[in-house]
This record gives sequence, C-alpha cells and structure tokens, in this order.
Amino acid sequence: MHVRSSAVLVTGLVIATLLSACGGSGDEEVPSAGPSTVRLLAHDSFVVSEDLVAQLLDDTGVTLEIVSGSDAGTMVAGAVLAAGNPTADVMFGVDNTLVSRALEADVFKPYTSPELDWVLPALRDDTSAGMVTPIDYGDVCINVADSVLADAGVPAPTTLDDLVDPTYRDMLVVEDPGTSSPGLAFMLATIARYGDGWQEYWAALRDNGVSVAASWTDAYFGEFAGGGDGDRALVVSYATSPPAEIVYAEDPKPEAPSTSSMTDGCYRQVEYAGVLAGAANPTGAQQVIDWLLSESVQADVPLSMFVFPAREGTPLPQVFTDFAGSVDDALQLPPDEVAANLSTWLTDWGTVMGR
Amino acid sequence: MSSTPVWLRWTWVVPAAFLTVFLVYPLVVLVATVTSGAGVSLIDPLLAPTIWQVTALATVQALVSTALAVVVGLPLANVVSRYRFRGRAVAQALVTVPFVLPTVVVALAFRSLLGSGVPQGFVLVVLAHAYVNLAVVARIVGAQWVQHSGDYESVARTLGASRWRAFVDVTLPSLRSAIASSAAVVFVFSFTSLGIVLLLGDPTTRTLESQILRQTSVLLDFPGAAATALVQLVIVTAVLLGGAVAARRSPARRLQPVGLRPLPSRLGARTAVLLTAIAAFVIVLAPVAALVAASLRGGSGWTLSWWASLGSIDAGTTRLGSPLQAVLTSLGYAGLTAAVAAVIGGLAAIAVIAPGRARAVGLLALVPLGVSAATLGLGILLAFGRPPWDLRATGLLIPIAHSLVAVPLVVAVVAPGLRSTDTRLMSVASTLGAHATRAFWTAYGPVLRVVIVGSAALAGAVSLGEFGAATFLGRAAGPTVPVQIVRLLGRPGEQSLGVAAALAVVLVLLTLVLVLIVDRLGATPSTRRSGTA
Repeated sequence: MHVRSSAVLVTGLVIATLLSACGGSGDEEVPSAGPSTVRLLAHDSFVVSEDLVAQLLDDTGVTLEIVSGSDAGTMVAGAVLAAGNPTADVMFGVDNTLVSRALEADVFKPYTSPELDWVLPALRDDTSAGMVTPIDYGDVCINVADSVLADAGVPAPTTLDDLVDPTYRDMLVVEDPGTSSPGLAFMLATIARYGDGWQEYWAALRDNGVSVAASWTDAYFGEFAGGGDGDRALVVSYATSPPAEIVYAEDPKPEAPSTSSMTDGCYRQVEYAGVLAGAANPTGAQQVIDWLLSESVQADVPLSMFVFPAREGTPLPQVFTDFAGSVDDALQLPPDEVAANLSTWLTDWGTVMGR
Repeated sequence: MSSTPVWLRWTWVVPAAFLTVFLVYPLVVLVATVTSGAGVSLIDPLLAPTIWQVTALATVQALVSTALAVVVGLPLANVVSRYRFRGRAVAQALVTVPFVLPTVVVALAFRSLLGSGVPQGFVLVVLAHAYVNLAVVARIVGAQWVQHSGDYESVARTLGASRWRAFVDVTLPSLRSAIASSAAVVFVFSFTSLGIVLLLGDPTTRTLESQILRQTSVLLDFPGAAATALVQLVIVTAVLLGGAVAARRSPARRLQPVGLRPLPSRLGARTAVLLTAIAAFVIVLAPVAALVAASLRGGSGWTLSWWASLGSIDAGTTRLGSPLQAVLTSLGYAGLTAAVAAVIGGLAAIAVIAPGRARAVGLLALVPLGVSAATLGLGILLAFGRPPWDLRATGLLIPIAHSLVAVPLVVAVVAPGLRSTDTRLMSVASTLGAHATRAFWTAYGPVLRVVIVGSAALAGAVSLGEFGAATFLGRAAGPTVPVQIVRLLGRPGEQSLGVAAALAVVLVLLTLVLVLIVDRLGATPSTRRSGTA
C-alpha cells in the first residue's frame, strides 16, 4: 500500500512539474523523436549556422535536435554505457583518441556516406571499417605570444626540442592530460615524437619550469600572456587559435593577431560522426552524416568551430589562410595503441611530473 | 509529543518516493550497466592504494576548508541575520553570490585578484572553498541565530560572566545544531569538490570526485569509477549522519522568532558589527569587482562593446541562443528547483523531527550530496534519457538533478530550525483544545515559513549556478547562463573573455534579485517591519 501511494504521489508531482514547465518556457515544446526528427548527440563545442539546419529540413524533411553531451570524453562515456539503446540517433565529435573505446563497445552501426569520396585522401580510409565518418580535423600546437618574446629579445621557438632550452625557462604552460583534451593531445605528440624517450623529455620540461594547468581555459586566459592576464609566453592550444583571436576581437578588428602557432610537434585530432547502434531513426541519422559532409556545412565549419573541413577543396576563410598555423607533418598515434596504453601513459606522466 | 498529528507520521512518503525514483533507480541502472560485463570486479580497484591516499588528502583539505568557512561565517551570520542596519537585506543576499558563481569564474576571479602571490595548491583551494561556502554557514546558522533572543546571555552577564564567556557557554551551545549541520555540509562540499580542485589545486588537493571524472571521461574505466564513487558515498553518508547526530544532541534551548535588533549602542560593539558588515561586503565583492572590470576591459582601454554584444554574439548559430533566452531558461529551472526542493526537502525535514522510522528517511534525504555529480548525471541519462523513460524533451531532467542537489541543503536549513522550536507551544495549544494539526501549525508554522522560504532561495541559487548537470543533460538549443559562460571561456579571443565576464555579472545580479525577493517573502512580520525601518 505504501508503494501504491508513493507511486500516485510521484505521478502527481511529475504531472505538476510537467505542466509548470510547459507553461514556463516556450522552447520546451519540441516533439519527441518521430520519424522526421533526428537527435544529434554532440559535445559542447559543436556549433553550426541555423540557416544550414533550416536547409537540412527543406532538403530532406529532417528536423535536427541537438542534444548536448558535455565534453567529448564524457559524451563518449555516456554513449558507451548506453550502447545498443542510445540516447540519440547519431553522434558527432568522437575523436581519434577516443574512437577505439567507442568501437570496442559496439556503439556504432556501419554507414558509408556517398559524400565520403570527397573527403581528403589522408582521412578517407580512416573510417574504422565503415563505422565512423571523418568530419573535420584540427591541430594542437604550441601558441606563442609574439610581442612578449620580442620584448624579451628572444626568438620564437620552432621545434619541440627548443622548449627544453633554458632560453624558454618558466615560459611554457601546458594542460594536464588527465583533465584536458589539448593537454592529452600534447602528451601524445611527445610520445609520437620521442617514443620511449618521452618521459625524459617531460622531465626536462619540468626542470625548465613548465606550468601545468587543469584546463585550456585556465591555461589560455589565466596563465598565457597572449590570451588574458597571464605572464607566460607559450601555451598548448590550437593552430586555429590565432585566427580566432581576430574573429573574437573587439571592433575594429586588428589587422593581425598578437599570437602565432608553432607548426612543429603538432598533434592532429580528427573528429568523426557515426550512426548509433539501435538508433530510433537510422535513415535520418545517415542523412545527417551526409549533411555534415555537404559542401555548405563543411564551408561553415572553420568559422563555427575553428577546425579544418575534411572535404577536399572546401574554401577556407581568409583569416584562416592568413593566420592559422599550416601544419604539414602533424603527429598522430594509431587509435588502438592509444586505447591500449592511455592509462599507463597517464600514470607515468603523473609520476614524472609529481602529480 | 502525545498530540502529534497523524499525517506527521507519513510526511516521509513523498521525499522517499522522489529519492527512490530519481536517485536510487538511476544509480541501480548505472551499477547494473557497469557490472554487466564479464569478469568485472569492484573489489580490485578498492585494493589499489591511490583511492585511500586521495581519501586522506581530501579529508585534511575538507577539514581545513570547513574550519575556515565556519570561523569566517559565524560573525557574518551574526551580523547579517540579527542586526537592523541600512543595506542589511542586500548584505544577506550578497553572501549567497559566491555560492552560485560557476567555479571556472571563481577560479579566474581569484587568479586575477591574487595573481601569483598565492601559488596554485592547498592554500588557494582552501580559500576558494571557504569563499563559496560562506553562504552555507551564514544561511544555516543565521536562520537559527535570528531566533535567539539574547536573554540568557544577559542573565549570564548579570551574574558576572565575561562577554566571551557568555558567548562560549551560552550562545555557542544554542547554535550547536546549526553549526554542526552547516559544518557537515561544507565538509561534504569541500570533500567532493571538483571544479575548484581542478582549476586551483595541485596533486595535494585531489578529491575522489576528480578521480571519478578522470576514470569516467578519460580512461572510461567504469568499474574503477564505480568503486571510487562507492567509497565517496560511504564517507559522505557517515559525515552527514555524524552531523545530524551532533545536531540532535544539542540542548533543548527554547527559541522563538524575535526579529531584528537595533545596532548595539556601545561604540565598541557597534563598530565591531559595522566592521564585520563591511568586511563581508569586501570579501564577497572583491572577486565580483574583478568580473565587472573584466567585462569592461577591451584591447584598447575601457569598452562597453562586450555588454552591447550580449544580444548579438553568435546570432544565427546553434551555439548560444539569445542571452535573454538563457536568462529565462535559467530562471525557469531555478523556480522549478526552488519549488520542488522546498516541498521535498521541507517534508523530509519535518520527517526528521517526527517520531519513528520517518527520521531515517529525513536523514537519507541528505545522501544525494555524497553521490558524485558525474555518477548521478550518467545514471539519470541512462534511466531517463532513452526509451522507455525518455524525459529529455520535457526539459525536466535538469530541474530534477538540481533538486537532488538542493534537497539536502533544504533539510540542513529547515531541520535545525524545527528542532529548536519551542514544543511547549504545541502542548499549550492542545491543552487549550486545539486540533493536533492546528497545534502543530501554532508551534511550527512561523518557523517553517521562514526557513522553507529561505531554503527555497538557496535551492534556486544552486540551480542558477549549477553547471555539471546542465551541460550533461541539456539540449544545445536552451543552455543555461553558466553553460553559456563556460562555453564562451572555451575559445580564444578578448570578446570571449569579455562577454563571459558580462554574463557572469548578469548571473550575480540575477542571484541578488532572486534572493532579495525570496528573503522578503520569507521575512516574518516582525523582521519585515524592522527591515523597512
């Protein structure tokens, strides 16, 4: 009897809050996933022009509902736990450090988009046997506050080796690879570059006064001289951070950013999309992947998310061609090697850095 | 309590049902999912030394944070909740502000204020924890202190006790239950802290919560995360039960709402009260002032463009929606959370004072504080984010998650107030022939009204400032203000920093207005009269 009365009370409560929620704000009246609605699970950094979402509806009849999955790691964790009975139809933003964990858990259902033929040859085969589709890529690079170095009369570093030179003592801030995605990418870059010697490299960085921040925000705005109030001249960020400095500057925009990126020792992050196994609307999910690779969405990607489009020949905005670091030989590690060793590497990194 | 009304024995049913559906069920689903794989063991991770090293570190850190918050919070509670002076209501609302600021904002403000003077690590983390938790001490202790007439101190002083002695022997014991409750809550917040520990800490300030995040989101080591979460849950539950037991042992002092008192006439005492009030303003406002400055600073001197672009930033994209919409979204969630948490938490607190098994349920309502936010977020997502129970489109998941965080706070505020209420009033009323229910309201009604409204304000504030669940369970189209702030701070450019700072100032103002309004509604007739004087 107790059970029944609690059930009645809960139902009443839920209905009451439901009613007040509907009355409260207009944006909640989205229909639940029907055949024409596709739920796109994406990390917090996903953004696209609303015009393109409207165009998707016009062209295919698909209504896109974006559900947020926090940061990429937490999103993938949720997707892995919900594998087979997912919380969305399609997932965007799983990258090459996380993708093998998702594949192991059978998160995806195979799909090969006809648009894949247009993808850059270097990325085209990178589909984990047709499970995921590359959508964009970005390079994690050392960023330099040029004027700070100029004032100190020091040339900008050009290689990873330079960073352990006493010239750059107390100048570099990196992010903790255990809590930050660019921090993790930078650690992987050092492993890709130095192999078994990567821990010695970090010991040298430590002895040269490297600072470790918990997050990109804290490193870039808190400690980096080029982003905010900090006093460090070098930071781990993205090759596209300098153009972002222009786009997100006060009007009138400066002619050139006060920062630049070092093009050696960059780690390439590729972001994929995939149809989720057990999706309520698999056909719509496939249409959304085609749409993500379409010319118009790919052209929108640089200024929306500050990454490079995967589709070959997509025109880049001028601020990118002028100021984004142009990386020819980005470092990468095979996803399955990352998955197999990540835990050990993080522990080793913590041991070297005393963290 | 021979004349206890019958319904009092059943108030526990509603909070019990709420917690079963939205706390226990998601956790069961999560544990079942995690342990469904072959050869999964929760024992192995428990044998690793790291988990216990982190537990020891976090315990020390949380003890120091709590001590500092209580030492600074007590004089604050005394001044802003008891004395009548110009600006008192604003001061009381201001104390709540640090509690709602997203931790990333607190961290940036602390950094710009203290520079490299205080290095990242233990000291900075403890300072930040004390700062954000001042509201917990000031609110919970203040709610009890305002009912304190000071008659006993006068008697003690007349009998020759020194001012200090009267405070230690008379005042402190009568506040013991509130101090114990608030200290337990602050300890739990500091022990389970995530954002501040990540942003301002170093290896000596790790918490189990930060371990859980790494195990979940970086390593995808779910059994390890589950074991860590279990240890945290057990420790937090033990602390909260300990706090509740300590609170119950406090002497049965008879307290009644007495309203605000004028400032002391003696110059020394008057100065002390005013200095405390000023110190409160300075402590709370310094980081806020840093935010205001950041919202007005451009590449070439002072600028209003960040404020001007609040309405237009990222227009036409799926990222932000308009700031006005975010404000409305946040306010809607805050209102729902305040209502749900006040009802659920209030009933749970009443259950605490009711006889019998109901008390256990009241104490269990404190448990959500110990459940890791990441764990709870994943659990709710698995339980209510997909068929057959897909509540995402209803927009209810966020206020429900916020309510789970806020209910323990409501219990912590309401229970000490009820416990110290003069139960003789109830006996008198019954003796005079009042119905049991009527007698209950005669005794408890005035106190209930003050503490429930006050705790609803705190619950609303929790919702306004909450980030984790809002980003985890939210939909991109309707982000809350803290989620917008953190997203802006996730990309380069002076505009990102400036507009984020402006939005943080908006959040501060929203909180102030919300808390001022609710405090006003909750004021007893006597305090309201004196408040306008």
